Amino acid sequence: MEIDKNKCVGCGNCHAVCTMGAISLDEDGKSIVNQDQCVECSVCYRFLTSEGYWPWMVSAIRRALSLFRLGYLADVDVCPTGALTPPVLEWPRSLRGMFSDPTIVHPGTGIYGRGTEEIKSNDVTGRLRGGEAGLVVEMGRPGIGVFFWDIEKVAMALARLSPEFEKKNPVTQLMEDPRTGKIKNEVLGEKVLSAIIEMKIRLDSIPDFLRALEKVQKEVDTVIAVGVASRCLADGSIPHEEWVRSSGYAPSRNGKTNLGLGRPLFKETES
Amino acid sequence: MTNTLHRQGKEQSLKEDFVVFMTAAPGINREGSGPKLQAFMRICAKYHPVNMGNVKQGNIHQDGVEVEKFIASLSEGAGAAAVFTDLDTVRQVIEELIRADLGISINISGLLDEVRQCCHGTGITRHSAEHSLGFWGARERLPEREILEINTLCGHGMISFNFIRKMVEYVKLRRLTPKKAARIMAKCCECGAFNPRRAEMLLEKIRKGDLTPSEKPV
Repeated sequence: MEIDKNKCVGCGNCHAVCTMGAISLDEDGKSIVNQDQCVECSVCYRFLTSEGYWPWMVSAIRRALSLFRLGYLADVDVCPTGALTPPVLEWPRSLRGMFSDPTIVHPGTGIYGRGTEEIKSNDVTGRLRGGEAGLVVEMGRPGIGVFFWDIEKVAMALARLSPEFEKKNPVTQLMEDPRTGKIKNEVLGEKVLSAIIEMKIRLDSIPDFLRALEKVQKEVDTVIAVGVASRCLADGSIPHEEWVRSSGYAPSRNGKTNLGLGRPLFKETES
Repeated sequence: MTNTLHRQGKEQSLKEDFVVFMTAAPGINREGSGPKLQAFMRICAKYHPVNMGNVKQGNIHQDGVEVEKFIASLSEGAGAAAVFTDLDTVRQVIEELIRADLGISINISGLLDEVRQCCHGTGITRHSAEHSLGFWGARERLPEREILEINTLCGHGMISFNFIRKMVEYVKLRRLTPKKAARIMAKCCECGAFNPRRAEMLLEKIRKGDLTPSEKPV
């Protein structure tokens, strides 16, 4: 994101809204974006409605009010002068928007945002089948963000266990070689709000993957949200639960359930 | 995507937080799914969700949105979501969705045992399920428990920790009511998965007391 200094009046509304805390007041009293930290999520631009006031008018009113030791508290969801300006992003910086802005269709997946359909359409895609588990390792979430150099550390650690990285996943598409998990050098310095390393593994290998993750988590300067999914058994029970528990972890009480109402229903026996 | 998977909170709070969403699959049933998406949203709207939306059109808390016009504008796309605050309503929504037989995948995010019972009550067996294993890595960078609970109500992470803190301050200073502050935060969450009712209750709680350090278990 960029801020038009000719328009900005330094109200500061965008500072708190910024998901990465990347906006601050410059020495000239106008807001400035730390471009290294900005992940191009554009929430500031979408959320803060431009009031379209003339900057000189806002400044003059403020000066007049200050003479009487009065201030004006603007609504929290406005940019008085419309100073926020989304730039045209060139590669590889454009990657930031693709991963961080949920209103952008990712060109590599054809769907909005940073992820894939995962189990949400498993009833029709058959993506996860009997004996398989889906492991989703979302880096940078919640609210911290992540550079690709940290994503690479985790992807390479997990790649040693030979998972099947999801081909439609945007992180997989940035790997030089999915067998190693190595990410392309040109994107390592890019930061995104979050990115999901997504893979299919065998149910009985869940303990190995969680151990590897336990080890590598200490090497990254961000948070990681971990999820495990599987196809339910005929009685509705969840096969990955016992593997997670036997690894020493407690699955959450809440989670996601695919009801199986999609059509045509994927039939495993016919695949 | 794992947008609604990692919602944090105590069990009582999670009992008032169920996200029902429809997801079309490209190459299988996404093409021409626009009318089905609208039908899904109309069914949900009948049961008064606290939020509805999709990333393409935004959510019903954004400025100037009228629900019927919003639904009519939905076109073929990835999906849509609606948030409910009790299981009985979710059961009724599911029963109606089964009757409508839209043929697009339906998911529910919420307490898994409760959702399973809900499925059982409507005569279906769940197809697939996903658990969160929590947050790993540099957990020391995470904020207080209540800030985290509000932040995770938007899976895309559009409501920053700093903005939530600002809203907490505004509520404490009585510049905003918890309800108004929750509605403002809901505007940030494009896909409509944010639960403004839960956020309002959390803000009420914070107004009356302190924030809980992040490392203190729920």
